[in-house]
Amino acid sequence: MRDYLRLEVRRTLRDPGFVVGGIAMPVLMYLLFTNLGQDESGWRTGGMVGMAAYGALGSALNTGGGVAEDRATGWLRQLRVTPMTPRQVVVGRALTGTVTVLPAIVAVLAAGGLLNGVRLAAWQWAGIAALLWLGSVPFTLLGLGNGYRLSGQTTGVANMLCGLGLAVLGGLWFPVTLFPHWLRALSRYTPANRFAQLGGSVATGHAPAPGAVAVLIGWLLVFGSYAVLSYRRGAANL
Amino acid sequence: MTTRTQTAVSFTGTVKTYGEVRAVDGVDLGIAPGGTVALLGRNGAGKSTTISLLLGLTEPDSGTVELFGGPPEASVRAGRVGAMLQEARAVSRVTVGELVAFVAGRYPAPLPVAEALELAGIAGLAGRRVDRLSGGQAQRVRLAVALAGNPALLVLDEPTAALDVEARHAFWTSMRGYARRGHTVLFSTHYLEEADAHADRILVIDRGRIVADGTGDDLRRSAGGSLVSFDLAGEAPEALSLLPGVRAVEVREGRARLRTDDSDATVLALAGLGAVRALEVAPASLDDAFLALTDPEPVR
Repeated sequence: MRDYLRLEVRRTLRDPGFVVGGIAMPVLMYLLFTNLGQDESGWRTGGMVGMAAYGALGSALNTGGGVAEDRATGWLRQLRVTPMTPRQVVVGRALTGTVTVLPAIVAVLAAGGLLNGVRLAAWQWAGIAALLWLGSVPFTLLGLGNGYRLSGQTTGVANMLCGLGLAVLGGLWFPVTLFPHWLRALSRYTPANRFAQLGGSVATGHAPAPGAVAVLIGWLLVFGSYAVLSYRRGAANL
Repeated sequence: MTTRTQTAVSFTGTVKTYGEVRAVDGVDLGIAPGGTVALLGRNGAGKSTTISLLLGLTEPDSGTVELFGGPPEASVRAGRVGAMLQEARAVSRVTVGELVAFVAGRYPAPLPVAEALELAGIAGLAGRRVDRLSGGQAQRVRLAVALAGNPALLVLDEPTAALDVEARHAFWTSMRGYARRGHTVLFSTHYLEEADAHADRILVIDRGRIVADGTGDDLRRSAGGSLVSFDLAGEAPEALSLLPGVRAVEVREGRARLRTDDSDATVLALAGLGAVRALEVAPASLDDAFLALTDPEPVR
């Protein structure tokens, strides 16, 4: 299992699409959005958490793109004729997702601290990173669900739309205070909004809101079921 | 128990249908450990389905499939099986060495990676990315992956499709090297020459059934020992099929081709009829044998 995780993490890190889209893009967008116009030091911190969440979200979904690719090339089928069990393969994939979200989180937080002058207590930095890391699990499951169900190309498009849609709707790119009232109300039930809120609470010195945890657990169950259903359907045709 | 473990592969009344198509239609089959077996058939004859069943990738509708006396999955999990699947493309963003080492590490008693690469003839490519190799090189990486675990049963589904002559030659050298170590090798092919040259035993599959089973020579014999051909001068072809030894008659462009078990008797009878214009006697080729075994209408 450890070997499989190592192999898949290595393969992910060699993917230029992952490095650019999952790490470089969130960092650049964060620096761009927070340094245009007047200085709003509040959004420097809020935007940092939002973009770290967006990067983690994209990286988590990207795990599904890898699965779709490996279905297309026959690599997953090849694994079925090795002693590895199907359970080991799918769990290994999910764990890969939890590892590959870390570079995006660390890179955006580093940009905030080193380039944008965000100052937080050590426990806050650690707390934000840890919560964003844990909170990305539902999105990894959503990506896996897409990857086991859809073809390689469709998975790429589906993941991009999921990523963009959830990020914008959840207020990861722009503060939700810019949204109309009804959209702001809706946004509070989306997973990405509550995902960023986990880190946001810590950044402002609070514990994560129970509501955020509850909504995320709800989405964890929804996306988890989706991943299981997709896997059952997709694995039959491997 | 001893007799069961002596069988590497066993099919009993195995049937697998896809909709209306009976891809595998009642196959009974036993393969003893050791030696090389070819599964020979046209495209769509049921080769790949047979191999999917054998590897436990597909469940039979009825009948059983066993590897080493148990369900295929048990043998696969125990690391007794290595396989090269059809239509697989290169695994992306991984080097040859990383890939082969990873697969070898899944098996209880693998070959050393260097040895697996050497055997597959790609010792110099360990550091190269798999998705940046030529077709022939990539194919041999897949062979290295299949034999990395040092499996007792190596299964190759159309391993040389899309290889050029040189690459094919190198491939079979590698494969024979592995078979010589006492392992069982089963490969499917639609190339007669490959089956004849590289297998100790040929299973001919047609329309989901095993229609012949033996060495290349057995198959040639079973199809009729020789082919006698001569130019016709108006004789009725029906009479030819009654001549001694003749099993099948084919007339094409004024020339008769008789498949015969006893070419001497056939030729003497033809001489009696005075029908010896441009007479030729040739041993039946494996091609003839294959056509006779699988063609739905061998006599016209």
